[in-house]
Amino acid sequence: MAAPLSAKPAAGGRKNFRRTSVPMVERAASLILLLLIVVIGLAVYRKGKRFDPNLYAVRNDALKSTALAVEGKGGTAPAASESKAVSTGAPKATAEKPAGPEETPAEGGAEASTAAPKPATKGEPLEIALTGTKPMGDTEFYNSDNLYEKIDGRAPAYQSFNVQALRCRSFAVNAAAGSFVDVYEYRFDTPVNAFGMFALERDPKGKPLEIVADGYAADMGYFFRQGAVYVQIIASDTKPETLAKAKSIADIRAKDLPVDDKGLAGRRKLPAEGMVADSVSYVPENAQGLSALKDVFQAKYKFDGAEMPFFIMVATADEAVSAAKSFQDFCGKFGTAENLPDVNGAKIFRAQVFGKWKVVYQREGELGGAFDADDGDKARAFIEKYLRGEIK
Amino acid sequence: MKWNFNPRDLLKLRNVRRVAQVFFFALFLFFVFVTDLRYLKGYPVSLFLELDPLVAFATAITTHTVYMGLLWSLLLIIPTLLFGRIFCNWICPYGILHHFTGWLLGKRRAEERERIEANRYKKLYSLKYVILIAMIAAAIGGSLQIGLLDPICLLHRSATTSVLPAVNQAAPGSIYIRQYFHVGGWVIGFILLFLVGMNVVIPRFFCRVLCPLGAFLGTLSVASLWRIDRDPTKCVDCDLCLKSCEGASDPHTQLRKSECFVCFNCVEDCPEDAISFKFLPKLEREITAPVVPARRAFLGTLVGLGFYAFARTSGASDRNYDKKVIRPPGSVEEKDFLDRCIKCDQCIRTCPTNVLQPALMEAGLEGIWTPILNMKLGSCDVNCTLCGQVCPTGAIQRITIEEKTGTGKFAAQGPIKLGTAFYDLGRCLPWSMETPCVVCEEVCPVSPKAIYSREVTITKRDGNPIKLRRPYVDPALCIGCGVCEHECPVTDEAAIRVSAVGETRSKERRLLMDGGVTSSVTELEKRQR
Amino acid sequence: MINMSASNPNPPSVNRREFLVRLGITGALIAGSGLAAKKLWTPNHFVPGFEKEKGLQLKSYAPEISKVMPSLAIAHGAEHEKTIRAAMGLLGGMERFIQRGDVVMIKPNVAFDRPPALAATTHPDALRAVAKLCFEAGASKVIVADNPINSPTGCFFKSGLTAVAAEMNLDLMYPETNSFAPLSLDGEVLKEWTFFNTPFKKANKVIGLAPCKDHNLCHASMTTKNWYGLLGGRRNQFHQHIHSIVSDFALMMKPTLVILDGMNVLMSNGPTGGRLSDVKPMNTIVAGTDMISVDAYGYSHLLERDIAELTYLHKAQERGLGNINWKDTLHKEVTV
Repeated sequence: MAAPLSAKPAAGGRKNFRRTSVPMVERAASLILLLLIVVIGLAVYRKGKRFDPNLYAVRNDALKSTALAVEGKGGTAPAASESKAVSTGAPKATAEKPAGPEETPAEGGAEASTAAPKPATKGEPLEIALTGTKPMGDTEFYNSDNLYEKIDGRAPAYQSFNVQALRCRSFAVNAAAGSFVDVYEYRFDTPVNAFGMFALERDPKGKPLEIVADGYAADMGYFFRQGAVYVQIIASDTKPETLAKAKSIADIRAKDLPVDDKGLAGRRKLPAEGMVADSVSYVPENAQGLSALKDVFQAKYKFDGAEMPFFIMVATADEAVSAAKSFQDFCGKFGTAENLPDVNGAKIFRAQVFGKWKVVYQREGELGGAFDADDGDKARAFIEKYLRGEIK
Repeated sequence: MKWNFNPRDLLKLRNVRRVAQVFFFALFLFFVFVTDLRYLKGYPVSLFLELDPLVAFATAITTHTVYMGLLWSLLLIIPTLLFGRIFCNWICPYGILHHFTGWLLGKRRAEERERIEANRYKKLYSLKYVILIAMIAAAIGGSLQIGLLDPICLLHRSATTSVLPAVNQAAPGSIYIRQYFHVGGWVIGFILLFLVGMNVVIPRFFCRVLCPLGAFLGTLSVASLWRIDRDPTKCVDCDLCLKSCEGASDPHTQLRKSECFVCFNCVEDCPEDAISFKFLPKLEREITAPVVPARRAFLGTLVGLGFYAFARTSGASDRNYDKKVIRPPGSVEEKDFLDRCIKCDQCIRTCPTNVLQPALMEAGLEGIWTPILNMKLGSCDVNCTLCGQVCPTGAIQRITIEEKTGTGKFAAQGPIKLGTAFYDLGRCLPWSMETPCVVCEEVCPVSPKAIYSREVTITKRDGNPIKLRRPYVDPALCIGCGVCEHECPVTDEAAIRVSAVGETRSKERRLLMDGGVTSSVTELEKRQR
Repeated sequence: MINMSASNPNPPSVNRREFLVRLGITGALIAGSGLAAKKLWTPNHFVPGFEKEKGLQLKSYAPEISKVMPSLAIAHGAEHEKTIRAAMGLLGGMERFIQRGDVVMIKPNVAFDRPPALAATTHPDALRAVAKLCFEAGASKVIVADNPINSPTGCFFKSGLTAVAAEMNLDLMYPETNSFAPLSLDGEVLKEWTFFNTPFKKANKVIGLAPCKDHNLCHASMTTKNWYGLLGGRRNQFHQHIHSIVSDFALMMKPTLVILDGMNVLMSNGPTGGRLSDVKPMNTIVAGTDMISVDAYGYSHLLERDIAELTYLHKAQERGLGNINWKDTLHKEVTV
């Protein structure tokens, strides 16, 4: 052992040796590390302050934990889409809620929070006692909300006329194998609305039915309105046996359904003579752009070689008078209007607006007339004939 | 110890190391104490586990991911690659504990010579590398066992299952509101005592001989840039540097870098100022890599792989699963769970009801000390997700309360189920003992309740009639929380017991084929429509 | 630290090469561990047991694009089989598409329980003819499947297809609870949805066989909209984005062949129709490999409307999913 040249025997011998020459680098490093320790301590303290209080809060509503889950499907495993068996009753209200991983959680949550459509209440099954037919399956019921499940894209039109429910069932024709007749009964809130929908879908080539006031026979079915119900009876094919049974069913339903023509007074007043088939329509409000013209029935007529659109509105006498006045003022503003002599107690005026002729009469609670006519004289003649009762 | 304290001495690295030791040990104790519903707030109580590089490395092998907070381990890996095993003496609370115990109980006043001999390197110290190799081999196979000997996991586990309950036993109310019990905690406690006590025989026994994390860091420190360097021109071969050498890294000859704890004791102890902490010293003067005999390394690999193979095929985790293995809410599927759980028992520590217990053999050999629910001791609070918040590896995912209860955005998928409750009708009071009860129905926390009852009137043994409500379980609604079992008055073995089947974390263990649409309540609703 | 003794020279500090090598190794290890950690990092948790299954993606059943053979054929005739044969003949015969041993999946439109005369569903004569052609070309099995809006058994029966399936020994698949699987698509609207998967498990050729119909919401339902019938779940939600989703179908499904049955066209009141007066006999069959081209012809020539209205065709064109300008494609026309 060579004698160390820089030995520093401290007091007390080697045991108590203490290093005193500390390089600057070491001192700097020590300082940095000490500061680092302080920083770590502060960081931990700060982290302790930032937390989500929900982790420790008592949440009373969490006790409703599985309520929502149960209402949908009560489950946790993915459930594939339900196969649509022939539905025996009302489509389930809760079936509207999302079911499993078919939808993203976001959609699922959103749907769960909106109100589910009301279930269609079970009504009476559609029973038709007709020898030679047998019901196929059970009656199906739909309400306005889930009508699209049956008729898909046509549903919005029905909803615009305030459809309430659909009841439908099929009946097999015993005499013809594989043939059947579908019966659809759409119930509306008023006969007028039922008429409106019926008229919208009306087949121009249909042949009028005698059994009902509003109805026609098409190549493969029968369509009519009775009361507030719009009925469609559709045969599966054109075999004579099938068509015969369809006709019988139409007769039965027309007889069974109650007659109700409330609000259709105007419709009744439309003369039949000269009416162009399938031209009856119903305008609930703002007919011809006038707010005073509500619940208006219109039809087209053939008169003297010209086409004559005709409208009629049934209301109280006062309403009819004021409507006539505002109509005349309107026509005077945008065109010419002149009073014509009264016929049979009805006041008449004729006007030409935007090149088209109008001849409008008002008697008591009835307001009507020709509009959009090309020939003013013909229009006048038509109305005068009608008022004299010569056109029925 | 020298007590004449000169403030300038503070800026010596060894003294900074002592400050750091106090700080990190105190921090660890703080985290352990504060892992309680009352105090937890936002403290990162699993920080030491998340910093632990072996946890991140081993779970990366078994799960091919680095879970959330485990990214912090880079904060330790990088300094290790730069400076060496600073963790072992500056940060590791277990190392600090051993250091302190060794100082307290060791040959403090013993002769210098004895101290020097005790700190020489022994071949035994290569055992930790063999242990590490065995554990990594097991991990590669697919079984995570580092938690058995990782120091942080071990210390957390010991604190949770034995030390804290013991402290609370001695000073009631100091740790828990109501005394906690942990199944098999005595084993863990004695293991801790043993390992800490062994410091009397060999200083830093655990750190030098057994610690797999130390072995891992030792392997990493091979590449470190700063190293203890002994200047042979100044060295007089007095071996005084060994007097307080913590790592037994032989600074007096060729430094074993993989063993050096960077404690700076040798720097301070050398009377000749021959030892310094240098940047890129020559490597000729040290033994850089750990010395592991090849045969032992090979044996270690075999043991590790064998462990995985034998343990996994002992069937506890497959169809032969034990009904008592009810895992905490948010747990991943069992096979993945065994890939992730490091048996740190943080979840057991934080559970506010003491329902979480370390498993023994219920989950098989691999599942020793992993958490399972024991409803006799507690039940799972519906609104609590604390276990998931503190789990560092994602064995229990950090789920939210909404995800757990199946509310809000998760209403469609429904709640997490831990299992299903089943009645033992022979033990149930209204069913078999003519005694009214239905506590279970009252305490069932879900809405609508998973337990419902039907009223019957029977004639008792004494001839009088009695109206009883007899309870039933709706398996579609039961979430397996265990309140019913916990509150059942038949306390030795409850008349309603939760069983692991029906847990949602596992697709194979679902009870109802259609996921619960056959719930009697939904049937009722269907019929009403 | 000055060397004072000659017998123990202080070795020089590390030379430059060793310096750089060691620095490099350590740097590489640091960078490597950082990169590995970042790559494997999962910053978010998941809820175990509720993970969304990765949806399936349909493979393409489309034939090779031919520069010689026409991709669109229009045939006019009085009856189904003759006209379909003529159209297929122009395309090169069914043998161009179906080889011996193929399992063919014919997707008809059976959305509603309407009798065939009302032209709301695929006509049984059309199905019979196409199935016949497939068998003649050597198909080993012909599957027929659809997920109707109304009851499946009722729809297949009333539309007459059940009878054809029995007669021709076709494999009629009804949509059952576990016939569905989640589908993954990078569509505009259609991303993850449940899909009627079972018919496709064994099939290696797909033929779309659709009637030509008016549709209240999206103007027309022809060969592109036909694929709607493969979706499950609450699909009526898509009515709000009907044009986007129909164009998504061109992305979802690449069939071998599509045939538009324009023998009887539902001109109004679609998609369910209801009166014979809505049906007009146009006596045309259009067959092709591009559903957008086929539909373009159908809308302008069979429904006799302005192609500018049909938004979903234009969307599909913009997305490169088909060619709306059928006249620019290789096409042939014949009258029998």
